[in-house]
Amino acid sequence: MNVNLTEIHRSFGKNKAVDGVSLELGTGVFGLLGPNGAGKTSLLRILATVLPPSSGEMALLGRDPRASAARREIRRRLGYLPQNLGYYPSFTVVEFIEYFALLKEMPVPAVPRAVAAAVERVDLGPKAKAKLRTLSGGMLRRVGIAQAIVNNPDLLLLDEPTAGLDPEQRVQFRSLLRGLGESSTVLVSTHLVEDVGAACSEVALMSAGKIVFRGTPDELTVRGEGHSVGDAPLERGYSAVLAEARS
Amino acid sequence: MTTVSLPLAGPARALRLELKRSAVPFLLPLLAAVFYYNTVRTADGFPAVWTLRASVIGDHMLFEFSAFAGGLGAWAGSREGRRKTADLVTTTARAAWARLSIALAGTLAWLLLAFGSGVAVLYVKTALQATWGGPPVWPVLVGAAGVTVVTVIGFTCGVLFPGRFTAPLVAVVTLFLYQVGFHAVLGIDPVPGIHGLGSGTYGLLSPAGPPPNPDAGVYYRIAPDLSVVRVMFLAGIAVALFGMLGLAPGVRRLASPRSRGSVRAFLAHGGSWPLRGAALVLIAGGLAAAVTAFSLAGTARLDPVGGWEIPALHAAASDRPLPVAEDCTSVATLRVCVDQAFSDDLSDVADALKPVAGEIAGLPGAPAKAAEVASMDGGQQVMSGTAGNPPVFEFTAEHVGPIFGDFNAPADDPAQWRAPFQTGLLDAFVAGLAPGSGQHAGPAVPPAGLAAQQAVVNALLTAAGTAPSEIGGNELLPGQPSAATWAAIGAATRRFLALPASARRAWLATHLTALRAGTITLAQVP
Repeated sequence: MNVNLTEIHRSFGKNKAVDGVSLELGTGVFGLLGPNGAGKTSLLRILATVLPPSSGEMALLGRDPRASAARREIRRRLGYLPQNLGYYPSFTVVEFIEYFALLKEMPVPAVPRAVAAAVERVDLGPKAKAKLRTLSGGMLRRVGIAQAIVNNPDLLLLDEPTAGLDPEQRVQFRSLLRGLGESSTVLVSTHLVEDVGAACSEVALMSAGKIVFRGTPDELTVRGEGHSVGDAPLERGYSAVLAEARS
Repeated sequence: MTTVSLPLAGPARALRLELKRSAVPFLLPLLAAVFYYNTVRTADGFPAVWTLRASVIGDHMLFEFSAFAGGLGAWAGSREGRRKTADLVTTTARAAWARLSIALAGTLAWLLLAFGSGVAVLYVKTALQATWGGPPVWPVLVGAAGVTVVTVIGFTCGVLFPGRFTAPLVAVVTLFLYQVGFHAVLGIDPVPGIHGLGSGTYGLLSPAGPPPNPDAGVYYRIAPDLSVVRVMFLAGIAVALFGMLGLAPGVRRLASPRSRGSVRAFLAHGGSWPLRGAALVLIAGGLAAAVTAFSLAGTARLDPVGGWEIPALHAAASDRPLPVAEDCTSVATLRVCVDQAFSDDLSDVADALKPVAGEIAGLPGAPAKAAEVASMDGGQQVMSGTAGNPPVFEFTAEHVGPIFGDFNAPADDPAQWRAPFQTGLLDAFVAGLAPGSGQHAGPAVPPAGLAAQQAVVNALLTAAGTAPSEIGGNELLPGQPSAATWAAIGAATRRFLALPASARRAWLATHLTALRAGTITLAQVP
C-alpha cells in the first residue's frame, strides 16, 4: 500500500477539516469527491506532507512522514499539484519544471530528459520556452501537472487538476492519468464527476471531514438509482450519498 | 543505467536558474545611474588620493547599494509567499534552507558583482589619475560585507513577512537607518577631532562617515582595526541571519495566525534536527562575532595621526610613518615641495606662493623652502609655520583649500584657498609662527606688536596682488579688533604699501627681528 491512513484528524481551531479518515490506497487512479469545505484539500495537503495531522497514524510509500529522513524520501517520490498553483512569471515552462525537478533532488544528468518528457506529456512542447506570464490559465494548469509528474512519482496528488482545461485537454489528461495509474498511486480531488467516471478505478466521497463513501464509480452510480438530483447517473449517486450523509 | 551526479550539481544548476531569472539585472541601470550621480561624482570631486577616493565606498556607495540590496533581497525572499508557491516547494525533497540559500545566493551574487563593478570603476579612474600609492582593500571588504548583510536582512524579512510591500518597505527603512539611524541609535558622531560628543564609539561600526583627512594614508598607514571590527560585525549579523533562515519554516509557522504559539507546528516544519543544530550553531557564532565586534568598537580611540585604533587589534606596525617622497619645483628663491601623492597639484601650489615669495625673497629669515607635511601630529591638527635653519615653511594638505582638503569650498574659485595659503606664508615669515601649534616661537607678543605685524602682512599681501579683505586681514590679532585699531592698521598698511618695493625690503631687512619680537608699533611702521 502506498497510502495508509488510520483515524487521521486535522483541526483548524474549532473547525474539524479532517475528521477520522482511514484510507488505504495501492496503485491506480482514485477520485476524491465532495462539496466545498468537505476537507478534500486538507486531506491532500496532509498526504503531500505540507500539513501535519492533529492526530492519527499515517504511512506514505511505506514510511512514516513524521521522521525527517523518511519525509525527505517520500518527497523525492511525490508529485503534488495544489488547488491554487503558484508560479514564477519570469521563468519559462522548461525552467519552472526543471527548477522543481532539481528541488525534488532528481539526478542532475536525468533532469533535461525528464523535463522534456513531462513537457511533451502535457502537450506544451510548442510553448516550452515561453515565459509563464504569457500563458493562459489552462496552460498554466498543464505546467503544474508537468512539474508534478516530472519525477515519475510513486504517489501523485492532484487537487482540481482539470480546472481551466478545455474538453480536448481534459480527455488527454484522463488518458495521462490512466497511464500514470498503472504504476503509481494517483489521488485526484475534483468537483467534476465525469473526470472520476472516465479516469478513476475507485472513488471516495468526503463530507464534513469524513469519508462517507468508497467504491468504484459503478457502485456510486448504483447508489443514485431512484434519486432525482443530478443530470448524469454518477452525479445522482454523488447527490444521493451526500444527502444520506447529511441526514 | 544508473545516473550519477555530483552532490552540488543540483544546487549549482538551480543557482544558474536563479541567476538567470533574478530581478536584480532589471534594476541595474537605475542602480548604475544613482551610483554615477552620487558616488562617482563625489569621488571625482576628491583629489586622486587612494584613501580619499576609497572613502566614498563606505560613505556614498554603500548608501545606494544598501537600499537596492535590502529591497531586492526582500523581493527574492518573499517570492514563495508572494507567488503562493509555499505549498508546492514544501513538498519537494530539498531542504527549505538549501532552497532559500540558493535563492539568496542568486540575488547576492548579482549584487556583489554590481558592487565589484562599481569599485572597479572607482579604482580604475583613480589609478589613471593617482600619482602615488595603490588601491586599499579594506574599504572594499567592508563594503562587500555591508552589501551582504543588508541583502541577507532584506531576504530574511521577505521570508518571514512575505508581501508585495515588504521590498519597498525594507528599502526605505534601510535608507533611513543607514543615513541617520545607525549613529543616532548608537549615540555618537564619529567625526575625528570631535570625539566625545556622544556616549561611546559604537557608531563607528557603521561604514558611513565623513571623509578622512586629505593626506590620510599618505604619511601614515591607515590602521585596519576599524575595518576588521566592521567586517566582523556585519559578517556576524549576516551569518546569524543566515542561520535563522534554517529555522525559517518553523518560525514562519509559529508566527502564522493559525498556529500561533504552537510549538508542535514549529517542530513539524523546522527541518531535520542536524540542520536545525547547524542553524543554531550559525546563529550563536554569528551573534558572538557581532557582539564581540560591538564591544571592540566601544574601545576605539583616536590615534595620533587622525584615525581610529582598537587596542585589542592594533599592530604597532600601523603607526610607523610611511617614507616621504617629494616632488619639488622652484619659484623665485623658494623651493616648493609636495608629497608625490599630490604631485598633480604642485604647479598650483607653486603658482599660489610665487607672488608672496617674490616679496620676501632674499630677506633674512625668509624661507628657502616650502614643504608639505602631515596634517596630524600627536593627535593635533598641524598649523602652518616656519622652522629650521635655513627656514622651511611647512604647510599641510589641509591648508591648500580645494586642491587638497577643503571640500566645501568651490573648486573653481582659486581665491578661496590661495589667499589664506599666501597669508599663511607671510604670517609665518613676519610673525615667526612655528609649525605644528601655529604659535609664536618666542615670548608672547604685545597687542601693539601684533597690530604692526598684521599691517605689514596686509601690505605685503596686497603688494603680491591679493587684497587682505578677501581673508579678513586680522588673523594675527586675538578676537575682533576695535574700529579704531582696525583704522590704525589700515593706515599703517597703506603707508607701508606706498613705499617703493626696495624701501619695504630694506626696512624689513633691518627691522624684521624687532617686528617679530613685537617691539615695533603701528606708528613705527613707515
